[in-house]
Amino acid sequence: MKKYLSIMAIAALAAALLAGCGSESEEAAADADKPYAGTTLNVYTWTEYIPDSVIEAFEEETGITVNHSTFSSNEDMLAKVKSESEGAFDIVQPSDYMVEQMASQGMLEELDKTKLTNLSNIDESYMNPEYDPDNTYSIPYLGGVEAIAVNTAKITDEITKYDDLFDSSYENQVVLLDDFRAVIGLTAKSLGYSMSTTDAAELDEIKTKLLTLKPNVKLYDSDSPKSALIQGEATIGSMWGAEVALAMEENPDIEVVYPEEGAYLFMDNWAIPKGSKNVDAAMEFINYMLDAENMSEILAEFPYLCPNAAAVALMGDEYASNKAKNPPAEVVENGEYIKNLDTDTLTVYDQMWTELKQ
Amino acid sequence: MNKKAKKVFKKGFGIVFCSLVYIFLFLPIIVIVTGSFNATTTKPYISWKGFTLDWYVKLFDNSALLHSFGTTMAIAVITTLLATAIGTIAAIGMYKYKFKGKSVIDGLLYIPVVIPEIVLGISLLTLFSGTNIPRGMLTLILAHTTFAIPYVIFNVRARLSGYDNSIEEASMDLGANRITTLKNITLPVLAPGIAGGALLAFTLSIDDVIVSYFVNGQIKTFPLKVMESIKSGVAPDVNALSTLILLGTIILVILTQSDLLKKIRHKK
Amino acid sequence: MKKLSRHTFRSNTLPSMAMVGPVTLWLAFFVAIPLVYVFIMSFCSIDESYNIVFKFTASNYERLFNPNYMQIYGTSILVAFLTTILCILIGYPFSFMIARTKWKHKALLYMMVIIPFWTNSLIRIYGWRTFLGTGGWLNHLLMTLNLTSEPIEFLFNKGATVLGMVYCLFPFMVLPLYTAIEKLDQNLLEASSDLGAKGHTTFRKVILPLTMSGVFSGSIMVFIPCLGYFFVSDILGGGNSDMIGNLIERQFQSGNNWPLGAALSIILILITLLLVKLYQKAGGDMDSLGV
Repeated sequence: MKKYLSIMAIAALAAALLAGCGSESEEAAADADKPYAGTTLNVYTWTEYIPDSVIEAFEEETGITVNHSTFSSNEDMLAKVKSESEGAFDIVQPSDYMVEQMASQGMLEELDKTKLTNLSNIDESYMNPEYDPDNTYSIPYLGGVEAIAVNTAKITDEITKYDDLFDSSYENQVVLLDDFRAVIGLTAKSLGYSMSTTDAAELDEIKTKLLTLKPNVKLYDSDSPKSALIQGEATIGSMWGAEVALAMEENPDIEVVYPEEGAYLFMDNWAIPKGSKNVDAAMEFINYMLDAENMSEILAEFPYLCPNAAAVALMGDEYASNKAKNPPAEVVENGEYIKNLDTDTLTVYDQMWTELKQ
Repeated sequence: MNKKAKKVFKKGFGIVFCSLVYIFLFLPIIVIVTGSFNATTTKPYISWKGFTLDWYVKLFDNSALLHSFGTTMAIAVITTLLATAIGTIAAIGMYKYKFKGKSVIDGLLYIPVVIPEIVLGISLLTLFSGTNIPRGMLTLILAHTTFAIPYVIFNVRARLSGYDNSIEEASMDLGANRITTLKNITLPVLAPGIAGGALLAFTLSIDDVIVSYFVNGQIKTFPLKVMESIKSGVAPDVNALSTLILLGTIILVILTQSDLLKKIRHKK
Repeated sequence: MKKLSRHTFRSNTLPSMAMVGPVTLWLAFFVAIPLVYVFIMSFCSIDESYNIVFKFTASNYERLFNPNYMQIYGTSILVAFLTTILCILIGYPFSFMIARTKWKHKALLYMMVIIPFWTNSLIRIYGWRTFLGTGGWLNHLLMTLNLTSEPIEFLFNKGATVLGMVYCLFPFMVLPLYTAIEKLDQNLLEASSDLGAKGHTTFRKVILPLTMSGVFSGSIMVFIPCLGYFFVSDILGGGNSDMIGNLIERQFQSGNNWPLGAALSIILILITLLLVKLYQKAGGDMDSLGV
């Protein structure tokens, strides 16, 4: 019966020949300034986080081929890296708490920072973070806030806090990240609790509150939540900072709100998973991304909070004074980074998340 | 209403109903084809910014996309060869010989066909992860061959059920050995079943998303590439490649149509 | 085997091993062992660093037999059931018409059911999203025609998920039905009406019983995959109408709890087995599911 589906097979075969003609021919000529030419780097980053043009420029300059894959949450990334055999990935991009988690499990290589000639571009205040003292395993890339985006043409009430997302008048209008730490985190914040609480009574309260969010949620999207907002599928939502900034550029009615309760903060980092067979080329990659010029190109496309002071200087005032792109200092000061949780608490999280999403 | 009017009404209703079903089936295809001509360059590539053929040119600069397509084809070819060889021989063996445990093999054969793909996907993932086989081309081929084998066997078996044993006996009585008999008598008779099974294996491999999703490692097949591009809106060049694939297939159908249509008509 | 020849009697251990050996090994390694492994894993747990601890516990199953999960199984089965019913309701009359038309390009009608399926299924599902979205084609059309002033919300609910499932699985209902209906003997139908049976009596007493096998195999081929197609509810359901497939996928990805995912898979396998048993009871032929 499915037999007749199969004619496509032959057609596809013909097309394969076609594809063969178009595929790249690589010269692995190892010349002096391209010591890693011919190497393939397996790079695993967040979706919508690094422009293709920057990767192509890196390939051009170094002769290294980048095999770029993307993930949608720290936990997805962890699962994939853990399930693969050692050496499957050369570069990953864990957030703060995930660096700690992976490092404690011995999943990351120690970085030889002497190779990172551009490291001085990173602002001192972002170095030696609590989650990775001395930056043994990680180099900060971009960060920011889980901010609230509001379409002021549709919502006239004044939105000031995460708690407003729970307002029953926004039924079926909210877009949220498909990330349980982010959504449960903002629920905890809205109640005034820590985003990493393990207290049973508090968790109970968080769960009750979380479930009241259910009728409001239009959709979950971690990869490009701005799309729902731009297209009018959602009128309000919470998302990673630059997503709001990009939505604002598409639709001037959209505004950014930093929650009064204190915001969910994140800092994503470059790291090299244990067992990488191309550590040197990977370091070259990280160093390339630390370059002020290259980083500013990334920043132009994905305007997040940037620890790279030299790149920020190149961006000029439009970036620096845009509060959606470059969150004000007091927002960052009042914010909170999430922490790793124990298995029992994670089970509770998983249960409430499952209940929310059914 | 007289009888004739009733009949005309019935026929008209039938045509309208069937047309609606075809519209339903082709709607997304129209969206895809239209999307491939959209001049938009900003994600998520939805609003219409005018007509362009650029994407069909740009497509050939997107080496990652073309490469994923080549990978898909390579996996499908190897899968087809493996599954067809193993499946055909097994189907003949299972038909000709009685042995212990035959019903067990039969039972195992039905599993990949009936269980939801996701279960096959995660079970292979746990196996490969547990035995530390690096995920990649190899695991994709192993996984695809696993779900393709039963289809080959069922197709060959369907052909065998109408097979007359006595011509084989005659061949062997005339002094031919087992191998010669297999090559000259058995295989030619089974050829349509084998071809059907092979085509099916190829198709299933090309379009597989769910099983591949769990065992791909660093390798991206075309469906997985699509999956990734869906995250931020399907780019017009992905639409363009899909359109080309579809067009190629349709042309092929037209070229081979007379033969194929005959086959369908005689499929009683 | 109808007739055993003396040749096959002669020595069949060696050739039968040679022929059936490879497939046996293959199925053992890539079907049987993995499933046994999943079964074992479903009784394990994870430690603080998400590693699997191989120590017997029934906690995963205890967790899965709570009302919340039950509700998800219920929803999944409901979605699969609705999908199957819709496929039958639309597919039966449709197959009947295209299988029994006297139009000379009948084969073309058949091919046109299959052609859309030569395009990758994900991208077609995404096509529905483009079509039905708030800023999508359909809303544009409705608003241009002044049928609505505000865009209608079609997406991100269970209805959209069912639509996507029907779309993906429709041909698997039509093809067996087409085969069964085409096999009907015209003389039989005429005899029935000559004997005075009215149209609906002929349908009930003659046509339906003879095509029931097609309905059964079609239903199995629609219902079971439906339970596992997690990407349909992800793309069209917006992630807020999870089915069993989504739960399994999540435990193997962001949930980082493979044993729980394994237990969910075992539940899904049990549901599948139950359905297949029903199918066999109803006289369904297993081989017809794969041809």
